[in-house]
Amino acid sequence: MISPDKIDEWIHEVEERPASAALIIRYIANRLGELAAREEELAAQNIALLNGKKVEEYENRLASLEYQLELLKRQLGGEMVLPTEAPPSQPASEMLSLVLYNPLGQVLRAEIDPLEMSSGQTIGSLAGAPDQDEAQPAILAAPSQEELLLIFTSGRTVAMPASSLAASPAESLDWQQAYLEEPRVKEELAAIQPIARMALYEYCIQASRRGYVKKMRTSFFTSHAAEGYIGTGVKLPADRTYNLAFAGKDDLFVMVSQEGYIFSMPAERLPTAIEEVVHLGITDHIVAAFTVSQKPSILFVTQTGKAVHRDTSWLDPAGTFKTKGQSLLSRERREAGTRIVGAAPVGEGDWGVFLHDDGKLSAYQLNQLLADGSLERGRAASSIVSITTFHMPEVKPQPPG
Amino acid sequence: MGLHVGIDFGTSNSGVAVFDGSQVHLLPIDPKNLVPQVVKTILYITSDHRHFIGQEAVELYYKQNINRQRRFVKKWSGEIDYHGADMHYVRDIYVYVDELQPGRLLQFIKTALRSEKYTGTQVFDRYYSLSDIIATYLRALKQRAESLLGEDISGVTLGRPVKFSAIPEIDRRAQDTLHEAALQAGFSRVDFELEPVAAALYYELSLNKPANAIIYDFGGGTLDLTIMRLGDPGRRLVYASGGIGIAGSDFDRAIITRRMLPHFGKGIVMHQPEIEKLINTIPDWSALPELSTPLARGELERAIHNGLAPVRLKALEALIFNDLAFSFYNMVEATKINLSSQAAAVARMKEKDLDIWELYTRTQFEKDIHEQQQQIEQVLVDTLAASGLEPAQIDAVVKTGGSSNIPVFSEMLARIFGQEQVKASDLFSSVTAGLAIKAHHSR
Repeated sequence: MISPDKIDEWIHEVEERPASAALIIRYIANRLGELAAREEELAAQNIALLNGKKVEEYENRLASLEYQLELLKRQLGGEMVLPTEAPPSQPASEMLSLVLYNPLGQVLRAEIDPLEMSSGQTIGSLAGAPDQDEAQPAILAAPSQEELLLIFTSGRTVAMPASSLAASPAESLDWQQAYLEEPRVKEELAAIQPIARMALYEYCIQASRRGYVKKMRTSFFTSHAAEGYIGTGVKLPADRTYNLAFAGKDDLFVMVSQEGYIFSMPAERLPTAIEEVVHLGITDHIVAAFTVSQKPSILFVTQTGKAVHRDTSWLDPAGTFKTKGQSLLSRERREAGTRIVGAAPVGEGDWGVFLHDDGKLSAYQLNQLLADGSLERGRAASSIVSITTFHMPEVKPQPPG
Repeated sequence: MGLHVGIDFGTSNSGVAVFDGSQVHLLPIDPKNLVPQVVKTILYITSDHRHFIGQEAVELYYKQNINRQRRFVKKWSGEIDYHGADMHYVRDIYVYVDELQPGRLLQFIKTALRSEKYTGTQVFDRYYSLSDIIATYLRALKQRAESLLGEDISGVTLGRPVKFSAIPEIDRRAQDTLHEAALQAGFSRVDFELEPVAAALYYELSLNKPANAIIYDFGGGTLDLTIMRLGDPGRRLVYASGGIGIAGSDFDRAIITRRMLPHFGKGIVMHQPEIEKLINTIPDWSALPELSTPLARGELERAIHNGLAPVRLKALEALIFNDLAFSFYNMVEATKINLSSQAAAVARMKEKDLDIWELYTRTQFEKDIHEQQQQIEQVLVDTLAASGLEPAQIDAVVKTGGSSNIPVFSEMLARIFGQEQVKASDLFSSVTAGLAIKAHHSR
């Protein structure tokens, strides 16, 4: 766009008003700097294209899209006839769905705008204190456009878009108004897992409450999920499936028990048949299962709202199965009744939503929470029942006004 | 009986003032603006017909529109009756409507007054005639002024250019429309004063002896000239008035036409009449938003796919379909303003798919507006000749309006009348202040 004519015009300006030379040089130098940075960026992209990394990324994206298409087909009950014209695209929702569920199959959804949250704020309330028995509720944060997989203790699964659950106001959530995916005989709702992005991962890992694990290739898992049955994932009659985690080839799989024992192992080394990978005490059970790839920290939360921070490098991956796991809590604290209620990897921009035993839902910026060490003092009276994390969407820069 | 205020309803900016007999009070009518005494002549109408003006309108427009989603639906808009020699049939007409459009932004409203064709516009389900649009804006100004003053306002002295148009019929119709709009807005008494005369009344406050002055009112829409004998309120004399419909917005258009269009494919895209039409519409601020149709998008996508100036046409697509037009015109105007204080400026806009960097010098600008500059100089010379005065008999040349600060015109005035005679009045508020003085005397 810089033609010789233009350069002549700039020179003419300098001849007319010599004082303008410095300004013009500064503008051109700034532009050159900008273009040099851009060229480097493009060169890097070119390298990624040449070495196939970009291709791999696109293949993953394609796989994800294909899976989503499969899901749509299933929802429509068979082969989908694609319309000749693409349907008008919906506005990209940046709303966050908070999904609360309990073993009875009751599922509540509240839609909140994450950008309006402030750290430490109470963002909602669940009517009536959750039971402390086996019907203890759990919470999950997922984008409103997510696809959710409901996992029952029998191994049965049901997939549904998050948006198909009617959204209730976050400040007055009530189990009476919950959607009911009625469990069958001797069945309980064990977990809800977002699955829209699962095709991007290599493995799906099913973890049980007693520390048993089985690993499936995502492609197999996809076909099992399509059939509505993924297996119980347990060996012991007293055990039940806890949740799923998706992992890439090089990711580290982590499980955290209520009494503060941590098991970690590269996902690739996990067993494909159900195996006890961590040996838990008789009163202990798993309260968190996740994978760690890039995130630098791990947050552990106790029932009193204390936040314990460990660098990812602190994890000592197990070399064998049936290990006791790394201990997070000292014996004294464990005997004093300190229990872990949740854990999650934490990166820049991650937030957490905490469900308290008085039904309150509070939101915290996790890096801030790690810095503070505990939930705000006012919450100390209530215990934490469940936690979930999400990544705060970036605020778009405001155009100059 | 309520107050009588002066309102300068300008092409780019407006203002409201009251005069208490000794002092002019310019009302801080737009607290969100950098200069609260000036409010942008911009109206934003949301799809539920709420109205916003000034900086508030700009901010809401940005918030609701930039990079927003669109959903076009085909809507029946009417039918055309064909009558031939031996045939007659009726054909339905459909238009594509963006049903997610949150609002319409209207600017340069005053310019529409001098248009022969513009009578109004459809804003969602309602038709707003030109007087409805102006009345909506004036009503908002009136409400703000009333809440600032704590009193009802019943009368207004509105400014008007010396000539809305060289065609007397259009000129008369423009004032009638403005008059009707002011009545619609709730003013029961409406009178008018020529904008340069208003600026002269304000300037007169600073005089301690009679003087011959040229009021050089050069704003966003017109150049208005009045040559007057001032300084003795009992014996004010207008020697001559003149004007031309060339001003700031025309210079912006010149910059866009000569310097910006190549960024969108001008000169590269050939033999593609549909796309060339899109490119050539860019300088027309009122037509650009109308280009965002599925048909235009299809044309652009096809050309991009075929490798026809893909980067520039992608930029054109972003300009049209990401609602960047308003930011684009503002950027061009800001570049022009920067050239008043420095010899070079960069026209810069960086958005998704749109990256404009154009180093623009004062010499280039002066070259681009050379034709207009000559026309302006001719009008000035003609008006002076009509006054019967010689340049040496002019004691003061009073500059007002944003465009009067452009160096090439300041130099022109200095060349004709002498540097000593050229005085800068308050660029954006002297007309408003003068109208308040006139309003006070009218009462």
